[in-house]
Amino acid sequence: MPAVTASLVLIIFLAGTIAGSLGALLGLGGGVFLVPFLNLGLGFPFTVAAAISLTTVIATSSTVSASRTGKHLINMKLGMLLEVATAGGSLLGGLTAQLIAQATLQKLFGVLSALVGIIMLSRVRRRNVILDPNIDPGVLGGRYHEDESGGVVTYRVKRLPVAIAASFFAGNVSSLLGIGGGFIKVPVLNAWCGIPMRAAAATSAFMIGVTATAGAIIYYGHGQLVPALAATAVLGVQLGSWGGMRFGAAAPVKWLKVLMAVVLFIISAMMFARGMR
Amino acid sequence: MSPSPHHTSERELFRLEATVGLVLRAGVMLSSACLALGLVLSLSGAAAVSPAGLLLQIGILALLATPIARVVVSTAEYISERDWRFTTLTLIVLVELLASVVAALMFGRKL
Repeated sequence: MPAVTASLVLIIFLAGTIAGSLGALLGLGGGVFLVPFLNLGLGFPFTVAAAISLTTVIATSSTVSASRTGKHLINMKLGMLLEVATAGGSLLGGLTAQLIAQATLQKLFGVLSALVGIIMLSRVRRRNVILDPNIDPGVLGGRYHEDESGGVVTYRVKRLPVAIAASFFAGNVSSLLGIGGGFIKVPVLNAWCGIPMRAAAATSAFMIGVTATAGAIIYYGHGQLVPALAATAVLGVQLGSWGGMRFGAAAPVKWLKVLMAVVLFIISAMMFARGMR
Repeated sequence: MSPSPHHTSERELFRLEATVGLVLRAGVMLSSACLALGLVLSLSGAAAVSPAGLLLQIGILALLATPIARVVVSTAEYISERDWRFTTLTLIVLVELLASVVAALMFGRKL
């Protein structure tokens, strides 16, 4: 278990700030950057790194969702339905993480970060807004006012079983590897289930708090959650994502996405190299 | 925009969002305050079992409890709306969260 020193706290706080601001700019949680930094960079056991990262995921979800309530952007009904799947997946992931060797977890993370990089590159230019206020959204669909276009966006949910399967998988990966899992759900909800990008992202961010909690509790029970270090990372990520959201509008996101995809491929290679040793 | 009376009304949806927002905001403020204070105190040299250590534990538990509290108030809201389908779904989520608490307790650690 890493000893808590003032310099370690400072390093983790800075790492959290950077991960949080990148996360806010790219629409990801910062976990995909934080876990490899803690595991490969600082040499923490993978499960300790994942546990710290999961607490930052919970904090980000609660903060972001609190600021979005009242706008109907979060689809609460769909979110609570899919949470049945994400929390179940997360519970299983938290349990299996205790049984899997660190080298295997590192290889899985390698696969996953490469996947995030590919998804990020493939979505550099995509925007998806459906403007048809006359359709009936049904029980699970939604309707919200979009600030950019000034119109009302209405949507229905298609292919619910696909959304449930993706949510279960995202929940499983989330607590196994210490990340939010939004990068799995958001593209699926958007591309296959008819949910507009902004609603898909808001609903996913809403769900990952409950998802990560189901996993984090198990890490906590195993004594893998170091309170002082989790506190540091949480505060750093909170500051970073606040800054990213506040000052991020002017940032050249397209360029940043390409750069970060390259970083993710490097992380993937490093995780693989470590996992193979 | 045509109203759809057989679905959750606009007013009920707004009330649920407001309640959920309140719970999340309160949870984040409580946990962040405890974590920040606990961290500052522990860096100024206090041992693990101390006000600092206790504040950090409370902060972590408040962080973990916030999403759970959000599901609990949603369940209560769906019960008051007599929406049994979503009452059942949110109850299943609570059972899953409870299962992870039970799993954590079975490993014999404090929680």
